[in-house]
Amino acid sequence: MYYALSIATVAGINIICVSGLTLLTGFTGMFSMGHAGFMAIGGYSAAVLHMHLHVPFLLAVLLGGVIAALSSLIVGVPTIKNRLTGDCFAIAMLGFGETVRLLSSNIYPVINGAMGLTGIPKKTTFTVVLVFVVVCLFLLRNYTKSQYGKNLVAVQQQEIAAEMMGIDTVKTKLWSLALSAFFTGVGGALFGFYMTCLYPSNFTSTKSTDLTAAVVFGGTNSITGPVIAAALLIIFPEVLRVFALWRLVIYGLMFVIIMLFKPEGLLGYKEFSIRGIVGWFRKLPTRIKNRGKILDHAEDIIGPSGGKKDG
Amino acid sequence: MSTFIQQLITGLSIGSIYALLAVGYALIYSIFDFTNFAFGSMMMCCAYAAFFAISYFQLPLILAVIVVLIFGACLSILTELVAYRPMRNKNASRLFLMIAAMGVDLMLTYLCVNIFSTNVRPLSVPFLSGVIKLGGVSVAKLDLCSATVAVILLALLWTLLQKSKYGVAIRASSVDTKTAGLMGINVNVISLIVFALSGVMGAFAGLFFGLKYAVYPTLGSISNKAFISSVIGGLGSLPGAIVGALLLGVLETMISGFVSSAWRDVFSFTLLIVILIFRPYGLMGKSKSDKI
Repeated sequence: MYYALSIATVAGINIICVSGLTLLTGFTGMFSMGHAGFMAIGGYSAAVLHMHLHVPFLLAVLLGGVIAALSSLIVGVPTIKNRLTGDCFAIAMLGFGETVRLLSSNIYPVINGAMGLTGIPKKTTFTVVLVFVVVCLFLLRNYTKSQYGKNLVAVQQQEIAAEMMGIDTVKTKLWSLALSAFFTGVGGALFGFYMTCLYPSNFTSTKSTDLTAAVVFGGTNSITGPVIAAALLIIFPEVLRVFALWRLVIYGLMFVIIMLFKPEGLLGYKEFSIRGIVGWFRKLPTRIKNRGKILDHAEDIIGPSGGKKDG
Repeated sequence: MSTFIQQLITGLSIGSIYALLAVGYALIYSIFDFTNFAFGSMMMCCAYAAFFAISYFQLPLILAVIVVLIFGACLSILTELVAYRPMRNKNASRLFLMIAAMGVDLMLTYLCVNIFSTNVRPLSVPFLSGVIKLGGVSVAKLDLCSATVAVILLALLWTLLQKSKYGVAIRASSVDTKTAGLMGINVNVISLIVFALSGVMGAFAGLFFGLKYAVYPTLGSISNKAFISSVIGGLGSLPGAIVGALLLGVLETMISGFVSSAWRDVFSFTLLIVILIFRPYGLMGKSKSDKI
């Protein structure tokens, strides 16, 4: 039971981190290979704030997120201001993640360098993580449904057209990056308070890859897709140890296959919902009945929204 | 003073290998406007090929080098045919191409981790070990050799691009791929040539990095430096890539020689950010807004 609960807690933390990356990669269309850096910054700063400056736990976690968001501007401002959001941004983020890891393993005062920061009080429980996941997903859902969230998608799909419509693309992207870093930083902070110790080796580029994989598998323009993927990607390696070893090879292969055949991901542009599933099953008899017939009542089969189920 | 000169020479030699990699990136970037993120792991696979050819099968050096080059070119063409070309034919967005390239990179790297384990394998060629004394400065033979080969290769590439028929076609495609296609240039053949050329560059870089450091699965991460140097020089510009690579190689060696090698990588990524702030299109690149 304890084992299952601990997996659920780690999965919850992973969901919080992935939800941040979803905002950036899934909605704004900016690829990041260094989000583990934000986890590290959030984790280390929250732990130091709590242990040395005696900031209360919840405040420390939120402040960890804020510090991660501020640090994201170091990479964000030069790349986004100069409209280098493609490959340059990806490599700058990769560099950012590596630099954070190298710094944290070479700074010995306070955070103990490569020996790791230990003795963090264990404050994160399953309940805390659950509350954070719910709040975080609620906020994310509201944000993506708001005008700001629609701006993100507009920037992702047609940047020049979005700019013509009066969207400040630079500001939109910077906000998206900062918010994404905030969520990931909060995840990292919870991770630190759960593991009670932080090592630079926790935040290698492999960790960033794990986060990215959840978003790519789950799908772009979807929140539930990456969330489900984030939970599954934590549970799978626990259940199948062989999978843990070959996981990254499979991720790589899946990246290519998904990009070739279904680049929007498994749940791209869709949300997983009970209503959607019930609706799908309700339409199933009609669909079977109409198979092979001339489609004179196309609306009955594909629905009024042109085949794309929403909500 | 002699230490300084020695560091300078080492830096130039590392920079020349970075230049090979950066040119490999820039060739593909200039035509397809996308960065082949799998290039680093391809270089690593070539280093493994070199290890097996030289240390395991004990092939004669010339034959081994040829095998490695063919391997590099084939691997590069294979990824183009399997992953990138079908996606370009579907007009996939650059984000998706980038993710696919990252996928190839992940797959190759961790395939090597799982098959060959993370062990570090030494690779050495007897006649390249040892140093040459030039005045008061001693230079490793390997550094001298790699710099010479890099210069020869880059000169050959330059001649190919400037003088041959295919070179003209490649340059035309880099200006405007679609129009080049309309003018009767077979862009699919050009893409194969370009990927093969970049594979050969990667193979040489892998060979030299294998000889210089050792062969291990995460060797490919060195190619990030090549990417940084092509950003310093200006993305997609071949002369810029070479200048940037030499500059980065020298600066890095100076940092690890006179400050500390732990801060070397931090320095190069900081340099990337600084360059992006002050000269976002690199030393020789053109501003993107010119194109629109």
